[in-house]
This record gives sequence, structure tokens and C-alpha cells, in this order.
Amino acid sequence: MFSLPLEQRLEVLADSAKYDVSCSSSGSSRAGKAGALGSTAASGICHSWSADGRCISLLKILLTNACIYDCAYCLNRRSNDIPRAAFTPDEVVALTMNFYRRNYIEGLFLSTGVLRSADYTMEQLIAVARRLREVERFNGYIHLKLVPGADPLLVARAGRYADRLSINIELPSSRSLALLAPDKPRESVIAPMRQVSGLIVESRADRKESRKAPRFAPAGQSTQLIVGATPESDREIITLSEGLYRSLELKRVYYSAFIPVSSDNRLPALPTPPLLREHRLYQADWLLRFYGFAAHELLDEAHPNLDMRFDPKSDWALRNLQLFPVEVNRADYEVLLRVPGVGVRSARRIVQARRGTRLGEVELRKLGVVLKRARYFLTAGGRYLGGIRLDGPQLIERLLAPARRPARLDQLELFAALPDLSAVSGEL
Amino acid sequence: MARYAYEGDFEGFLCALVASLENGDGQPEFVRDSDAAEAGLFSGELCQVPAVREVTLAFRSRFVAAVSREAFATARYAFHSGKKGIEQLLWRYLLLGLEQGRLLEGMLTVEPVWSINRIARHVSHEAHKFKGFVRFREVTEGFLYASIEPEADVLPLIAPHFVGRVGDRPWMIHDLRRRQAAVFDLRSWRLVSGIELTAEPGCSDAERDYAALWQRYFRHHAITERHNPKLQQKHVPLRYRKHLVEFTGP
Repeated sequence: MFSLPLEQRLEVLADSAKYDVSCSSSGSSRAGKAGALGSTAASGICHSWSADGRCISLLKILLTNACIYDCAYCLNRRSNDIPRAAFTPDEVVALTMNFYRRNYIEGLFLSTGVLRSADYTMEQLIAVARRLREVERFNGYIHLKLVPGADPLLVARAGRYADRLSINIELPSSRSLALLAPDKPRESVIAPMRQVSGLIVESRADRKESRKAPRFAPAGQSTQLIVGATPESDREIITLSEGLYRSLELKRVYYSAFIPVSSDNRLPALPTPPLLREHRLYQADWLLRFYGFAAHELLDEAHPNLDMRFDPKSDWALRNLQLFPVEVNRADYEVLLRVPGVGVRSARRIVQARRGTRLGEVELRKLGVVLKRARYFLTAGGRYLGGIRLDGPQLIERLLAPARRPARLDQLELFAALPDLSAVSGEL
Repeated sequence: MARYAYEGDFEGFLCALVASLENGDGQPEFVRDSDAAEAGLFSGELCQVPAVREVTLAFRSRFVAAVSREAFATARYAFHSGKKGIEQLLWRYLLLGLEQGRLLEGMLTVEPVWSINRIARHVSHEAHKFKGFVRFREVTEGFLYASIEPEADVLPLIAPHFVGRVGDRPWMIHDLRRRQAAVFDLRSWRLVSGIELTAEPGCSDAERDYAALWQRYFRHHAITERHNPKLQQKHVPLRYRKHLVEFTGP
């Protein structure tokens, strides 16, 4: 596994790690130390974007892509015929330090295939993080993956060195997990999450008492769900996320559109990854975390899946037209947040600006509020901005209109073979 | 109507602004002292104002007490846009702040607040981008050099970030467009102007290796099934790519 030259192993192990979508370097704010390398910014910093448009913030690699497990959805499963490679801890440390110093990256994201046993593998990951922190005095961001089934003591040690910990649930129900990842019982994933959540709360309380108390995963924990590999509905997924945010205080749940990395007959054959569905799930996820929505408001038994035509907020608003329109000059902040097209920034600006002046359509535009969708749900100074009467089907048509207008990309023929009536009437 | 020539940076500008307030000037005009020579036909007398730290600090605390820290920061960011006529806008903004006090922050739709906010936001976005887009290379043993060409004058805004981050090596970030550089000597950083490259900076052996490794990593990070160059270009506009090692490789 060490026989390939370093640059090829870097390629292999980057390829094996890239399907983990977690990329953020946010949530941890640590000033630099004089004479040492590294600091963290609360907002996180993206350093580049690759050809698929995803940001590169952390050096995302595996320690090794050899694995004793055989999870059907995973590229690195035992039965898959791909080149295997591994890094020594020294190599990972050198890569991290040198990339970081050149400002290529914001820190390290270290994951791994499982070797020998969960505990052995977890120890390897911790060893790298410990060397970075204690020997190299690296003060940048470290994201460590937890190995399902690792000893709670090891989990507790990992959080001393890492900014963020994560363990991937991958499949939204135990039914699917049992089918596709028979080696990973659901409890081996949930138990460490529960433990980490408890330790984070504890360390936060300790640090309130004394600033010298050690930190534990100051940037919290996250997880990932694969979308489209199993038959779960969006409702199951979003309800699960809501539970994770509420009871385990997760920082993020990532959704990964399933890309077939094997021809296992337990998996569906998808022509393209369900990217739109992934996008809609992220939109719904944001509504849970920043807009005060509950999962049961967005999806219920009658609507178990998100509408692919609209964003989930528009969809919710169309089903609750009796609540609209609302008056921008009076509506509460929480109500404004529920207007389609109005985001956190716009709602804050509206609240700030209306203290001094009455807002009309012109002022809203100046504030940067995008009225494309919002206009049908707002009145400004008593005047309805939508122009048409609010009724469901008509409104749906209006909201969909821009997407349905066909783009005319071909050049117009001067003398078309058949006279095109629309060219005469001007309705192009 | 007098013209006030100030020393290039924000401190200098504030001193000129204070001078105009002391003179009770109703319609001052501000010019960088490097541009002071090109006077218009009807321009008034030229008044050179030296930058004095105490004057700046006094004005700053006066403005912060009247309005807020955030509003002052907004003014500073807007100044660094280097846009033509920004001094005039800022003069109106700062005066309005002293007059209106805290109300200034709610006047989001009123000029000049609207314009200043918009410009400041633009600059702060670019400054944030460059916290990620600076690419250091080791030109001689241990010394790091980076060249950038940002639209706004972001160097003074991002240099403190890099002092906290790369504290174990001396470094220099060179703004080619403005011919100035932030230089860090392991203790503190300062802004040096009038810097010009006489030759392409050298490159240590380790540098070549790590740049090549980074380029490989960058290529392999992309997932083929999700190929989306349009999205990539939205985040990394072509104008920035010249100085990003992962976009300049083979």
C-alpha cells in the first residue's frame, strides 16, 4: 500500500475521500499564536473551487482506503476492485503543514477505511491529529471522522484535538442500513453521536466556569445522509434531520446525491445523480435551522416528498395562502422570514429600515429584497404588490412562468420553409 | 471651496476631513496627494493636510460614540474600494452620521448610506475572498511571497489575518495593481508602497514539489458526475485565476 510514489497515493486517497461532502471550516474561532502556524475563523474560509463547483476548504483525504467492511454504496468497500494506498502519519502531517503554510487550505479533514478493528483505526486517526497539535503546534482547523464502533474513550480523546467530529449515518433508516451496510449496525453510529453531543455540552459548561478548561470539538459535530440510494421519502429524511438538530445539537447534516460507484444489485441504477432533490433537501434543511420551520409543516403524509418545481418555502406558502399577504411595514420578523423569496438578510434589513421610514416597493428594491416571488405574498403600505388576485392555481402558474418561457437559442431564419405565424404576430 | 490633499490611506483622509470640518467648509473636495497635481480649471486653493494619528483616533471615538463601531467599519471598508469620488460620498456619510447619530444605521434606503453600504459590502466580500485566494510560495529558504491583483485595496484589511495565521515565517503579500506590499518580519507587519518586481521571484525545490502535489489534489477533488464549470467560475472568476497555482498548472 506504500509502494506507489507519494503523488499517486495522494491522488488515490483524494479520489476515495471526495464523496464525503462535508467541507466547512466554520464554527471555530481561535486566534493565531505568535510564532506558530494556524488560526481558525468563525465564518470558515473557502480557498478554491474545483471543476464540479464544490469548494475546497480542507485537505480532504483518507489515511488509507483499504477497508474490512463491504458497504454497498461505498467506493472503498472490500469487494471493489480499486487501487489501494495509505499514508504514513508523517506524510499527512507534512502535507497539511506545507499546504496550510502556502494558504492552499484551511485545515485537515481526515477520514479512513477501517483496518483490523474500529479501535485500531481510530487510534491511527488520533495519532495524526495529536502530532499536528502537540509536535508541530498546528493551530488550524482539524475535522476528524469517528469510526463506527470505536471505544468511547477514543472518541473523547479525538475531540480534544479536533475542531469538528463527524460520523456518517449514510442511510436514513435502519432497514436500509441493514440491507446495504450489514457490518455497521445503526447503534454503532448513533451511540458515538450521543456521546459527542454530551461531551460538547459538558465542555461548554466547563469553559464558562474557567477559560482554561480544555475544549472539546468547538465546531461541533456533523453527519451525512446519502439521498437516492434507498427508497426513503424526503419526509423521513427531513424528520430525521430535525431530530438530529434538536436532540443532538448537530451543526450540520449533509446530503449527498447518490452517485453509483458500483453495480451492486441492491442499489438502484440512476442515470444521473439526483442533484435537484439534494438541492431541495438543503433548502428544507435551511428552513429548519434558520427560518423557524418544523419538519411537519413542510412535509406530511399527504406530501411525503418535496416539490421539485418550487423551493420548499414557496410550496409551503402555496398550501397556506390564507396566511398571506402580509404587510411589510408591520409583520413580525418571524413572519417575514416565512415569505417566499425573503431571506434572513432581507428580513433583517426590512426590520431595520422600517423603523425610520415607510417601506414601499421602491424602498424594498433598494434594500435588495428580491421581489420575483415575494411580491405575491406582500403588501407595502396596504398596496398588494402581486398585481393578481391570490388564488392557488393561478399563482402556481405565475411562479413557474420564468422557468417555462422557452429560450430561443437558434438564429431566426429570414426565409423559413414554412411561414411561422408567430413571427408575424410578434409572439416569439 | 477648498481642495484638501491627504496622505494616501484612510487615516490621512480622516485628517483631511477633520480639517475641512474645522474650517467650516461647506463643499470641500478631497484628493490623494499623489493626484493633487492634476488640478481642474476651476478648482480652489490646495491645502496639504498631514496625517496625524491622534486626530484620526479622536475622530474615530467621536463617530463611534455618535453612531456605532459598525458604521465606522463600513466607512473604512468603503474607502478601500478606491472608487473615484468615494471621498465625497464618505464626507456626506460621516457628516450625516454625526448629525443623525444612531438613526444612520436604519437609513438603508437613503443616499449616501445606501451607496456606502453597497460599496463597503462589495469590498468586504472581496477581502474575505482573498483570505482564501492568497497563494504563498517559498522564494528562498523560509521566505514566503504571494502576488495578488484585487479590485479593491484589500491588503490593509487582510494583512492582520495572515499575521495571526502564518506567524512562523516572514512573508510578503504583493498587490501588483497598486504596487504596494504587506511585509511581515515575524514581529509586526507594515505596508510598503512603490514595490516593483525586477525579475520573476525564485522558487525553492520543495516549492515546486508541493505546488505539483496541490495541482494533482485539486484535479482529483472534482467529482466527474457533478461537473459544473459555470458554478466554479461564479466562485473563482477568471480574473483571479492568474495568481492561483491550481489554475495555472499544466
